Amino acid sequence: MKNSDWKAVLQFIGPLLMAEGVLMALCLIPAWHFADGTTPQIALCSAITFAVGAFLHFRFRHFRNIKDRRMSYLLVVLLWIVLSLFATLPFLATGATHSFTYAWFEAMSGFSTCGATIFPDVAALPASILLWRSMMQWFGGFGIVLLVLALTPKLGINKYALYTAEASGADNAGGGAVRTVVTVRRTLTVYLGLTLFFILALLAAGMQAWDAVNLTFSNISSGGFAPASDSIASLTPLQQYILAGAMFFSGVNFTLLYLLFTFRWRKMKHKFDELNSYLFLCIVAVAFVVVFLHLNSGLPWADAFRVGTVQTVSAMTTTGSVVADYTLWPVPVTFLLLILAICGGMAGSTSGGLKTMRVLILFRNARAILHNRLHPHIVNPVRLNGKPVTGHISNNVMVIFIVFGGTLMLGVMGLMLCGVSPTEAIGASVGCLTGYGPGLGASGGFGSYAHFSSPALWYCSFLMLMGRLECMTLIILLLPRFWKR
Amino acid sequence: MVARLAGLLTLTMAGGMLLPIAASFYYADGAQYALILAALLMGAVGLFLRNIAGRNATYDLRERESFWITSVVWITVPLCGALPYLMTGTLQSFTDAAFESISGFTTTGSSVIVRPEAIPQSLLLWRSMTQWIGGLGLILLVVALLRRLSDGSLKLYAAEFSGTQQRKLHPHIAKSVMRMWFIYSFITVLLIALLALVGNSALDSVCLALSTVSTGGFMTAQFGLTGYSELTLGILTVFMFLSGVNVALLYNLFTLKWRRFKVNHEFVLYAVLFLFAALSCFVAFSIANHNFSLSTLHFSLFHIASTVSTCGFYTEGPAVWPFWPSVLTFMLILSGACAGSTGGGLKLRRLMVLFLYMRNYLTRMVHPHVVFTIKIDHKVVPSDYVNKIFAFLFLYICFIIGGAFLLTISGSSVADAFCLASANISNLGPSPLINSLGANLEYASLPMLSKWTLMVLMLAGRLEIFALLAIVSPSYWKRR
Repeated sequence: MKNSDWKAVLQFIGPLLMAEGVLMALCLIPAWHFADGTTPQIALCSAITFAVGAFLHFRFRHFRNIKDRRMSYLLVVLLWIVLSLFATLPFLATGATHSFTYAWFEAMSGFSTCGATIFPDVAALPASILLWRSMMQWFGGFGIVLLVLALTPKLGINKYALYTAEASGADNAGGGAVRTVVTVRRTLTVYLGLTLFFILALLAAGMQAWDAVNLTFSNISSGGFAPASDSIASLTPLQQYILAGAMFFSGVNFTLLYLLFTFRWRKMKHKFDELNSYLFLCIVAVAFVVVFLHLNSGLPWADAFRVGTVQTVSAMTTTGSVVADYTLWPVPVTFLLLILAICGGMAGSTSGGLKTMRVLILFRNARAILHNRLHPHIVNPVRLNGKPVTGHISNNVMVIFIVFGGTLMLGVMGLMLCGVSPTEAIGASVGCLTGYGPGLGASGGFGSYAHFSSPALWYCSFLMLMGRLECMTLIILLLPRFWKR
Repeated sequence: MVARLAGLLTLTMAGGMLLPIAASFYYADGAQYALILAALLMGAVGLFLRNIAGRNATYDLRERESFWITSVVWITVPLCGALPYLMTGTLQSFTDAAFESISGFTTTGSSVIVRPEAIPQSLLLWRSMTQWIGGLGLILLVVALLRRLSDGSLKLYAAEFSGTQQRKLHPHIAKSVMRMWFIYSFITVLLIALLALVGNSALDSVCLALSTVSTGGFMTAQFGLTGYSELTLGILTVFMFLSGVNVALLYNLFTLKWRRFKVNHEFVLYAVLFLFAALSCFVAFSIANHNFSLSTLHFSLFHIASTVSTCGFYTEGPAVWPFWPSVLTFMLILSGACAGSTGGGLKLRRLMVLFLYMRNYLTRMVHPHVVFTIKIDHKVVPSDYVNKIFAFLFLYICFIIGGAFLLTISGSSVADAFCLASANISNLGPSPLINSLGANLEYASLPMLSKWTLMVLMLAGRLEIFALLAIVSPSYWKRR
């Protein structure tokens, strides 16, 4: 790891900080419009962020190449940390919170599209801060790294390494070649298009522009911050269904969406396997939740269907918008929601969790091994979308599965050690690691994480980073071997 | 073929019933005639299966058949073993009796009998005997009984002990199995003698010994081993530790080939893990209870031995359970004992392979062109074996999650459901951990759905999942 590599990393972080500064400046609009008195502070934060970014970019503009593969892992992690660090500024400057821990938690929760909030009463926050929270999620949801690649395609970075570090095993596990730049451009088009579409749809359903923008930003990115304390519970059913649609799309592979919207349906069949299981899982889970809620909790069919569908989709795409206080629902239903959050949406989407693709490979691999034990001489490789999945890839997926599960368990234990009750520790660990957000108990439903102790909050924000970077990227940084020459 | 083997085993069980019947007459506990009737019924079922349903049996075995046999035997025999509980009226419902019997044969030791003191002594003996037989495995019993199976026995053996590469004690599989039974019986007799020597009653000695060496965990009193002498607990600790060791390796202990222990990495890990866990528990308990005493050390050793071997004995421990022992216990429940022992869990050998693989994997992320091999006991582990372990681990976790899900449907909380599911799939059974997390220790009060879920989990854990899944997979039934 040479000095020039470090400088190149800083050079990469520069433009993103500048972008963050611009986004922060956008928050001036509500500050000015609603006259919430935060205009000077936000302007200052924005200026600082932009200035630091510009400085880094121009100071190190001659360092464009990262030669060491290890540096690209480091870059990804540093990006999230530095951006979150600057994202705490508005919270601290406007006095939304005075504790750095709280601000850091909220910023990390935003950029990792987790959606766990530290504020018990969101509605009391200044309008600029509310927009900033949604904006962070919208920005983070797309993946800062993907933005780097889309905006600066000419950079000489080892793109493939960077891309896999971010979404390890996502596309290459499917067997398709990763043509990074094309993929990223398409993804960006789809993302912007979807955002625009859902803002318009919500406006058409009679929502205020302010709410529509905030909710679309946080739901299309599978984030889950809301400008109201009761999340999305007090919206009209139609608006809730529209948001459920936004969440659903946030869990679908963006390349697939691009093909869908450009009417190239034939090409879609290369990814049908994952889409099918995503739909299948979605329908089965929704059916179970709806029927169980109707039979067990006595909700009328219409309510059970609305609440069950929206909350299940919210969990499965790890969005975390809350339509009803699910912590009061029967235990099996909340349990199922947690499992769905762990499975997550499709690979190459903004959702978190393990991803449907991996779960599918895990199941098929187990089935193949079973076959093999029954008929030892049979040659029957695991197939995905008609293409064989090599043992190497399925082992990769297994490793991620184990690391993910291990992190989850360590998360539960660590939180219990910080004095969180077992049930709540399970909920918070799943919520933070998968990016679902709210957990069980007081931190679930419409609640917040405000009652957690500082160590617990730091641990949660670590879990969020872990989950967003799919564990491996962060873990290899912790190995002594990584730092050796 | 299947019927013949199942019949043979049922007949053996009926023969085994003679012991409880004798005990029953000796203690005059009033269960004599019911037991005789149960034995006769089992004998009749056995004869029917062996001589009528299975009279045209051939001994041509392939992998498919061996899985089939394993699963069927493991389901029919425990169901027959439920007869004595029902006939004597100790347990009223079929669910309860089946639960008790399956829990016995799978060496789990979860019991629906709230007060074991109150049931006839002969049944206590039967309960422990089921564990002892299940300890080494019903299939190993078949292999030992049927010398004619020479070729098929290896496949059967593999079906029961899936995925653990066994070192055979003797090139001839039947002989090797006989040696395993011999060493197993020898340890049992030794333990009975020791327990009787330190002043336990004959019934207690026999029952506890049978439960210990099979890592079962049925106890003879309501509050576990509370009230037994320190010496008894000490002896049990040693034997619980031993019963978590590979049986084949134990053979070396008694034939004085001690060097084998040093080169067996799994055993070394097992021993180190045991000592580390026990000592760290001791420190944690002492600090939390402000009581640095020898009895705390004893308890830590006892508790860890009981957990790591998935035996499941418990006794009265320290008043305060700090965080660390609970977490450690939970992890040890999942990791389990050595491969090829009577204990359950994921088995340390598998975890070692996984750990080594993960380490290599992480290094490869940084240096993509490095080539690695995984070695255990200085031998290379083939890569398809790694893949099998991965699949096994995945299914294991799926079973725990699925089981926990069904448990929550019948009314447990999430944390309780996970503890119950893990404790039963690893064949541990009762554990103070479950109590410390507030779960219900008394299995008797669980609803019926929970009991059947736990039964499936116990069987899945004992058969290491594949054998159980094989018969429900559609591909199994193709090309008949």
